[in-house]
Amino acid sequence: MNSAVRNVAIVGGGPVAWIAAAALKRAFRHRELEVVVVDCGNSHDAPVGRWTLPSQRGMHALIGIKEVDFLRRTGATFKLATEHHGWHGAGSRFMHPHGDIGWKLGATPFYKYLLIQQLGGHDENPEDYSLAAIAARLGRFARPMGEDNELTSSFTYAFHLDEAAYTAYLQEHAMALGVRRVPGSLADVALSPIGNVTAVNLVGGEQIGGDLFLDCSGSDAVLMGRVSRGARDDWSATLPCDRMWSVRAGAVDNPPAMTLTTATTAGWLWRSPLADSTMVGHVFSSAHMSEDEAFAQLQQTASDLAGKSLLNRFMSGRRRLFWERNCVALGTAAVELEPLAGADLHLAQLGIGTLIELFPIAAESSIEASEYNRVMGEQADAVRDFTLAHYRVGSVPVGEFWSALRSTPLPQRLAEKFELYCANARIGLLDFEPFEEVDWAWLLLGAEVLPDAVELQVRTQLEAVTPEQLAPVRTHLERLAASMPRHIDYVRGQGPQKSHAAKS
Amino acid sequence: MRQPLKVVVVGGGTAGWMAAAAIASVLRPETREIHVIESSEIGIVGVGEATLPHLRFFNKRIGIDERELMAKTQATFKLGIEFRDWARPGDSYIHPFGAYGSRIAGVPFHNYWLRALAQGQAAPLEEYSLPIVAARMNRFALPSEDPTAVMSTFGYAFQFDASLYAAYLRGFAESRGVRRTDGKIVDIRLRGTDGFVESVQLADGSLVSGDLFIDCSGFRGLLIEQALKTGYDEWTRWLPCDRAAAVPCENAGPLTPYTRATAREAGWQWRIPLQHRTGNGYVYSSSFISDDEAGSKLLSRLDGKALADPRFLRFTAGRRRKTWNRNVVAVGLAGGFLEPLESTSIYLIQIAITTLLDYLTDAPLTQAGAFDPRTVDAFNRWIEMEYDRVRDFLILHYHATERHDEPLWDYCRTMEVPDTLKHKMELFRHRARVVTYKDGLFLEPSWLAVYFGQRVMPTAWDPLADGLDISDVSARLQAVHERVQSAVARMPAHEEFLEKYCPAETPAVTRNVLT
Repeated sequence: MNSAVRNVAIVGGGPVAWIAAAALKRAFRHRELEVVVVDCGNSHDAPVGRWTLPSQRGMHALIGIKEVDFLRRTGATFKLATEHHGWHGAGSRFMHPHGDIGWKLGATPFYKYLLIQQLGGHDENPEDYSLAAIAARLGRFARPMGEDNELTSSFTYAFHLDEAAYTAYLQEHAMALGVRRVPGSLADVALSPIGNVTAVNLVGGEQIGGDLFLDCSGSDAVLMGRVSRGARDDWSATLPCDRMWSVRAGAVDNPPAMTLTTATTAGWLWRSPLADSTMVGHVFSSAHMSEDEAFAQLQQTASDLAGKSLLNRFMSGRRRLFWERNCVALGTAAVELEPLAGADLHLAQLGIGTLIELFPIAAESSIEASEYNRVMGEQADAVRDFTLAHYRVGSVPVGEFWSALRSTPLPQRLAEKFELYCANARIGLLDFEPFEEVDWAWLLLGAEVLPDAVELQVRTQLEAVTPEQLAPVRTHLERLAASMPRHIDYVRGQGPQKSHAAKS
Repeated sequence: MRQPLKVVVVGGGTAGWMAAAAIASVLRPETREIHVIESSEIGIVGVGEATLPHLRFFNKRIGIDERELMAKTQATFKLGIEFRDWARPGDSYIHPFGAYGSRIAGVPFHNYWLRALAQGQAAPLEEYSLPIVAARMNRFALPSEDPTAVMSTFGYAFQFDASLYAAYLRGFAESRGVRRTDGKIVDIRLRGTDGFVESVQLADGSLVSGDLFIDCSGFRGLLIEQALKTGYDEWTRWLPCDRAAAVPCENAGPLTPYTRATAREAGWQWRIPLQHRTGNGYVYSSSFISDDEAGSKLLSRLDGKALADPRFLRFTAGRRRKTWNRNVVAVGLAGGFLEPLESTSIYLIQIAITTLLDYLTDAPLTQAGAFDPRTVDAFNRWIEMEYDRVRDFLILHYHATERHDEPLWDYCRTMEVPDTLKHKMELFRHRARVVTYKDGLFLEPSWLAVYFGQRVMPTAWDPLADGLDISDVSARLQAVHERVQSAVARMPAHEEFLEKYCPAETPAVTRNVLT
């Protein structure tokens, strides 16, 4: 007879391992699930600075993390947007805020109005209709408030994190929930006759048994690699970046609540503000730039780099099957992708959530694995598409890296998405897509990609709306944003503090 | 603004008039010219007398007044479909337009129900569904707008006379400037350059030209198939029924707010109660029963006196390879056929029309503009997805059965089903999980109704549902049960509600209309 899963062993020491441990422990406290993390330390496969999507807040709520405490103890800051520089040629910039563009015009998303204006030659900017964008630009921050349909609630936010501080915080939290930690590194694994993992053996001889194993060990996938040969979908032809430098720099005075990226001749630089310092990095293609040159370029962006720098090597792609036998790969053990969309933790968390929803009835069952692989495969491909889209829309910077990028064929599903948009301004989403219509709209409008036509119905509906009519809204949003506290003051003043966002 | 879009709708009937009415209503008059060509000689099939709740969105979008529509079409309300004898003779379940209970701690209700059932502490699942309880008691009231009220946990659809529906829509469309010509199409002219349909020629020699042709000519697909040779994907290996006999009969007993589908030796029989009569039909496979026998079986199994002789229909389950080909969009039977077991015919018409309206652009009316292949391909992918998802759901009804010693059912019980359906069924059996999707028909409650109703019993439930004490689970189930029963107790009888809401204006002349 099949037996229920009583023990879960997790291999890995980064945020994904601890989030998975805490989430499983909490979800299955009623059955006293034993969760042990074999902490092999920071494998340094991840950036030392991270930025998340707003879903991080949901995950925190789920595992019982209090936001104020988390912010105070980890030095994290808020994130309202990402601002991209130079992606569409020198001097170009656009924002991707975590929030709506305008509001719904009847049943029609507001960005269609902008498209109609732009097609008519009028210079209407989506950022003028986003409270998150304006606040980020002004260095202001407040949490969303008010009813769902109000402009003051038209956005959400995410975080900038210090990886080491965040990991330590998560570890403490998970252990308080009853997760056991065993420091050590993996020597080998014990397999049952049918190929299931029965235990992991650590260097030094200790053996950790389990019914279900999670590999959160990073791109080396030390556990998964022993369970299967693991066919891989290689994305490096379309996403050639394969290195990332990261290093700490000094704090800037009141950094805006956003991540900055800047296109270079072989990739992109990033800057992610923390309360008391700034994380910076350079993601690049080693085929187009040497590691030294890439670091030199990073150094030019900040005069006050401090401490050890880290070089992370990766190759974009994913495991075809994330869950095989009784072993599930999460994080970079499952999907390796540059952090352009900030979705690495999001994707790992979708994996954890899906695993909880499909938590195996019996250690030996395989039907859950097949559903998990179907759903998470779609999700991973969707994140890849959104990441890749940054490189494939609008005009392109000069250079061999950028022109070579454009010459590779797009994945079918992304090609179809672009074609539909270009033909008739529709943004079509498949069943499992972590990014929403508005995210694609930010990206496409930011790249100034205009469709050849818009829907007839929408044209008819929105023809009469003019920028003049909307002027009061733009002014109102400006005022609202200007009345918010400075971002850094909001971060420092964390506590049960009243929001300063003005009432409309 | 560009020139008006000239739309030619080939064929009246439900599909043709739904298309004409919707386009006329959604596109401003100066942007379109709509011309419907129907032949009074050919007559209409009058697809589908039973609808799905989605039709209400369609009505809303195009501005149809529900009460007027219902009064003019002898309509009744529909809370779901009763399936009799599908898994075993004697079985009965209702596929409701609404949920069973609601999620507890994020976990679907049925998992807790399974757990309580295993402890002997649960009532039958259908008693936790308001629309089912109301349907069983022949009661009806409109749902509440308050999302916290148990009266908000259901939707409703209509059962109506399809030919009256087409007539109603015709009036609606004509009052919005749609032109109608009574004539038979004898020739179709294609443009030499690109093979687009240029015009159709009528028996009196006149030519009707257009930019966009909507083919609502029924099974034969006058434009989409006969002229454009688009091709058809047959699904007979999974859905072997290929004939129907239909006959109206006098009403007998109270008007049920639901449609009934009863499994029969070589197919199934429908029963759709309207204000003035009851529609009936036998959908069957010609490999397993003759037309004569099917006709006489049908006549012998009516509630009341037959009002006509049975009429016979032939069809092939499947889908046109492209719903939109060049400048022709096939709507209704011209686009594909799925038997009306889950009342999807009008839904599939509706979805083709509204998707078309969504995808029409303001581009110039050239091949590269309005008929941009990128738009056309996306449209076709969407319609394919809709058909495929309905298909799997229909196959489930035939496959999940214990009926035996009847050739049709022996075949269906043992056939290989599509992998997508196989996966769905395995996952449900293994742990009561329903595979869900973002777009397309049939959400979790629909799948639950058929799985449980047809004895696909899971061997386990979601382990997260073990998170509550069994006494707590029991109490919550009990609370839902009580709320449902007491809400239904306050609902008026279906007939009483109809009488106040939408009584048919005149006792309509009984028609021999097929469903």
